[in-house]
This record gives sequence, structure tokens and C-alpha cells, in this order.
Amino acid sequence: MSLASASGARRPAARPSFKTDRGTVIAPQPAWSQMTARVAGHRDVGAGHRWLELAMPAGFVEPTPGQFVQLLLADPSAVLLPRPMSVAGVRRLGRALSIEFVYAPVGAGTRLLAALETGDAVDVLGPLGRGFPLDQPWVPVLIAGGRGVAPLLFAADALAGGARRRAALRCEFLFGARDRAHLVALAEARSTLTRVGGRLHLATDDGSAGFKGNVLALLEGLAPRLDGTPVLHACGPHAMLRAVAEWALARRVPAYLAMESVMACGTGVCRGCPLPRSSSARAAFRSDRTPSLYGNHEFAMCCTEGPVFEAHDLDWARVE
Amino acid sequence: MSRAAVVDLGVRLGPLVLRNPVLTASGTFGYGDEYAHVLDVAALGAVITKTVTLEPRAGNPPQRIAETAAGMLNSIGLENVGLAKFRSEKLPKLRALGATIVASIGGETPGELIRLLEALGGERGVGGFEINFSCPNVARGGARFWATPRRLERTLRTLRPLTRGALIAKLSPDVTSIADLAVACEQGGADALTAVNTFVGMAVDLDHAGSHLGRATGGLSGPAIKPLALARCHEAARAVGIPVIGSGGIFNGRDALEFLAVGAAAVQVGTVSFIRPRAASLVLEEIQALLGARGVKSLGEWQGCLRDALEAEAPGPRRRALPAQARRALPARARRAGARR
Repeated sequence: MSLASASGARRPAARPSFKTDRGTVIAPQPAWSQMTARVAGHRDVGAGHRWLELAMPAGFVEPTPGQFVQLLLADPSAVLLPRPMSVAGVRRLGRALSIEFVYAPVGAGTRLLAALETGDAVDVLGPLGRGFPLDQPWVPVLIAGGRGVAPLLFAADALAGGARRRAALRCEFLFGARDRAHLVALAEARSTLTRVGGRLHLATDDGSAGFKGNVLALLEGLAPRLDGTPVLHACGPHAMLRAVAEWALARRVPAYLAMESVMACGTGVCRGCPLPRSSSARAAFRSDRTPSLYGNHEFAMCCTEGPVFEAHDLDWARVE
Repeated sequence: MSRAAVVDLGVRLGPLVLRNPVLTASGTFGYGDEYAHVLDVAALGAVITKTVTLEPRAGNPPQRIAETAAGMLNSIGLENVGLAKFRSEKLPKLRALGATIVASIGGETPGELIRLLEALGGERGVGGFEINFSCPNVARGGARFWATPRRLERTLRTLRPLTRGALIAKLSPDVTSIADLAVACEQGGADALTAVNTFVGMAVDLDHAGSHLGRATGGLSGPAIKPLALARCHEAARAVGIPVIGSGGIFNGRDALEFLAVGAAAVQVGTVSFIRPRAASLVLEEIQALLGARGVKSLGEWQGCLRDALEAEAPGPRRRALPAQARRALPARARRAGARR
């Protein structure tokens, strides 16, 4: 094969088919690509949190709520690996796509990210992972902890813009943090919920905003007043997600949790982001159904099987 | 890219002829199909698949990844689908993509490697086998177990008759003398060596009073290890007559040329594939362009062009004459250094 064909590899290759013991199979074609985006906007949204908007080149597949991308700064960069970042929103203007993020500059990678200015280049690999299943017929209850708000703002937006049946469902949005300053992008959350007609409920540990207590107590109080069976979609610290998952499992309420992990590749190749499967998930495990292409019985990869997991998929006692 | 003539990049590893010297490092390219929609795997020298063991392995508990200065530590623990699924699902996909396949196999004992090679040795479309003698992240059958010349030589002797494909021994850098292990592999009948696997490293988390990894140590890769790997590769290449495949922190074409210049016959692209999935293709394009721009006609002219010049300053067990065409490919400064010797 000539080098010309190697250099032209941005064009997707034909989907290969191959014979296995179960007959001819068409290899699943991942939707992700790696492209260079430009910073279209970057601003503070209070308490040191940043809102980043990237203008994507044509051909980049539009992410869905709960999916993430890997952001890679231009060479030379002081960090080696790309940073997984949950998508907080997408905007379409004609054929142009832009993707939005909200983050806190807390680590080496995000601090470098915070220095980006309008027009700067960022390589984006994505969209990656599986997002929230938002097409459920139940009352959507979105639960955000701190900077876990990002994918849920996107989810609230998507629920409102979905089919008429779903738009009729009023989304309940629970947003908690240790104090008011850690309610990341609170103004954005207020305007999003106003726009989509959802209800925003705040909780802070110190009572500096909304209910004094955590989101679980807030959920406990809200649940009996819902007009219908709830379905939970949550993102936040793992301790919060564990509490939400256990609450949901005890009540047989469907719950979807967006998890975090240190990652290298984000595409299932490095096997670097394992989360422990629950005993029921281990019993039901069929590797030929998992999208990681070689998922294993013991661990699910956060990047390809997640980052959104159903509550009964994971062994919460072993989730760190 | 320059308009220089196309350089003949063909390279031979024992019975295995590769169209070019760029291979994917085992464990950084999955089973070869995960990245197939963004690069042409058939255009690479070879795809070395994730190490397969007799039985499936779940791998190590989290955390498995920790970023360090210019590098990353991994503690994956040979997670893989096992021999049966590798044969029934993974190999057919990779064959359908037209890739030159080198299967990486790993075992806790020589007996396990024998069983793996008995099963896979005649598998259609597999051009060679890289024996993972150097995993830093497993309790049994890892780098430490295999870092014994006698064990390597004996094991390779028993493996040799089991396949007509290339036998490649992947060595750990964490040894007293990689030259001794390299010679043992050559004497055992290996067709080629890979130098090197990851370096054992640690990352301590002071805030949580423990390791950043689920285990105390992991394998370090990335630009941080390139100078270390280059020295090990040079040492191994001087010690043996069989081809050495350089590996460790190769992120671009220039990195690859450095390994080839000190004596590597081919290179493996690893960690950078996690960062840029098309990296192997890009390295290949850059090698082609860089050699073309220097007027090099074939890889053989470049390969080893600095090995002996550097040997003058680092006395080693064996010396070899510098081929005339390689001398011409050398930068002038290196030519003078060689002449002084």
C-alpha cells in the first residue's frame, strides 16, 4: 500500500467485514475522530470556574449528553496526556458545530487549559463513551454535584429539545455542593433551567445556597412529590454517585451515573480506566456485547462502556 | 513533505519481511482494529497485538494510569481476552484489515508459552510472534522472572521449532546487562529482539499516603524514557547479529531515526498512540520524508549509521565495520568521529 493512502487516513476506511465462529460480522465503526478545534470563547463563570467553547471543524460528530472528549493542548505542552472533559453543551449554527465545557482549573492539565485564549488551537478527540439514555418515559431527575453539573446542563437542554413526549416531562434538576462557591456555573444552570422549563433545586452542606444538606436528602424530600416514576441521571463526586446509586437500587428506581477515571487514551485501547463490575453484571457479562471490543468480566472500562453506567452495573462498595 | 524520491523502507526480521520499519508496540494499539478507522493499519510495518495469555486476564485493580513528568506509568497487568477469543474474534478482524500481524504472547512459565505457540504458531496471517519476556506489572511470569539468560535461551530453543514465523524476544530494560540477555536470545534462536519494554517506576501520592497506582509500581513510558531506551537499544544492537527493534518514547520521525541510527532495524510506536491515534502513520510519513530529504535511498543506508561511531566512545563486546553507504548517509561530524577511530 502506498504512503499516499496512509496519509489520507482521515477519510474513514471501509467498514471491514470478517468471518468468525458466529459467521460474518461487520466491525463496529467508532464515531470518534481527532481534529483541531479553535477556542471560540473562554470566560469565568464564578469562583474560578471556566466556561470554554470550541469551534469544531466540519465532520466532527456531535456529542450527546454524558459523552466526553479528550482535549490535547498544542505541542509543546507541560502535560503529556490529553484530558478527558465532559461536554456541557453543543451549539449548532447552520452547519457549524461548537462544543462547550465547564471546568475548574484544579490540576496541571486544567490549569494549562485555563490559559487558552480565543483563537488558540486545541486538539479534540471524540465524541467518546456512552452518554445518558434520555429517551426514557419516566420523570427525569438530574442530580449534579459541583463540577459534575456539566453533562447535566447538556442533558437538561437535550430533554427540552427532544421529542414532544419528552418535552412534556418536567425535568427536576438537583444541584449540590459543599457551599455556594462550589455550585459550578450556577448562573448557567439557572438560565438553562429557565429556558427548558425545568425546576432547579439547590443544596449546600453549609446552607449558603438553597437547602442545607446534601443532594440525597434533597432527593429524599422531593421523591414523594414527583408526578410519576423518576429516572435519575447523575454526575458528581464518586461518593455522591455511590449514595445516589444505593438509594436508587434500594427503591428499584432506574439510575444512570456518569463516572470519572484517570485515563490515558479514552478509546478503550490502553485498558487504563477500570471500574469494578457488580456481581450481577459479572454474571450477565457477555464480552461480545460490550463496545470496548475486549471488555472483561471483572472490570468495565470507564471510557468505552461508560462513562455513564446504570446503578446495577457497578460494585459500589469497590468504587473508589 | 519534501518532493524527494520515495525511500525503500523494507526491512527483514528473520523470515518476516516488512514493508517498513514502523510497528505498533504491544498494549498500545489494542488488537489492531480499534484505530483502524483513523489510520491504514495495512500500511504499517506490522501491528503487534496486545499480549495474549492462555486464559483471559482481568488485569490489575485501579488506578492503572498515572501521568509523570514527560511520561506515564501504567499498571494494566496484561488484561487480555485469552487465547480462544484472540483466535476466534480478534485475529479474523485484523486479517480482514490486511495488516501484517505480529502476535504478542505472554506466559508465566515456558510451558505456557509453548502451549500458546503450539496453538498460534501456524495461524494463517500471523507473520511473527513477540514473546513478552518483560511485563513489569504481573506477580508471576514478569520481567524479573525472565531476566535470566539461561532461562531465555532454553525457552526460545523449545519455542523455535513451533513456528515458521519470526520469533521476537521483547526485553526489559531493568536488567544488569541487556547485552547478555540479547546474546542469550540470539543463541536460543530468536529472529529479532525488542529493546525495550517499560521501566519499572513509582509515583507516590503524598496526599493519600500511597501509590498513585493500584500497585506500588508500574511501567514508565513516554518521552521520559527515550534516552534510557536508546542506550539499551544501542547496547543490545552492538551485542548481537540479529535485528533489534527499538522501542521507548518514540513520538515522531526524528525519534525513530535516532533509534535506527544507533542500530535498530525497526521501531515500535507506543504511548504516543494513546495521545494521537494516528501517530504510527505520522511517524512513518516523517521517516520517509526525513530520509528522502537527506538523500537516503534505502533504510539499510541509514540503519546503524551511528552505531559504530558511538561505539568508539563506548567500548563494547563487539565491533563491526561501518558499511560504505551508511558512512555516506552520516552527518559530516559523525563521519569524522568514525574516521578518528
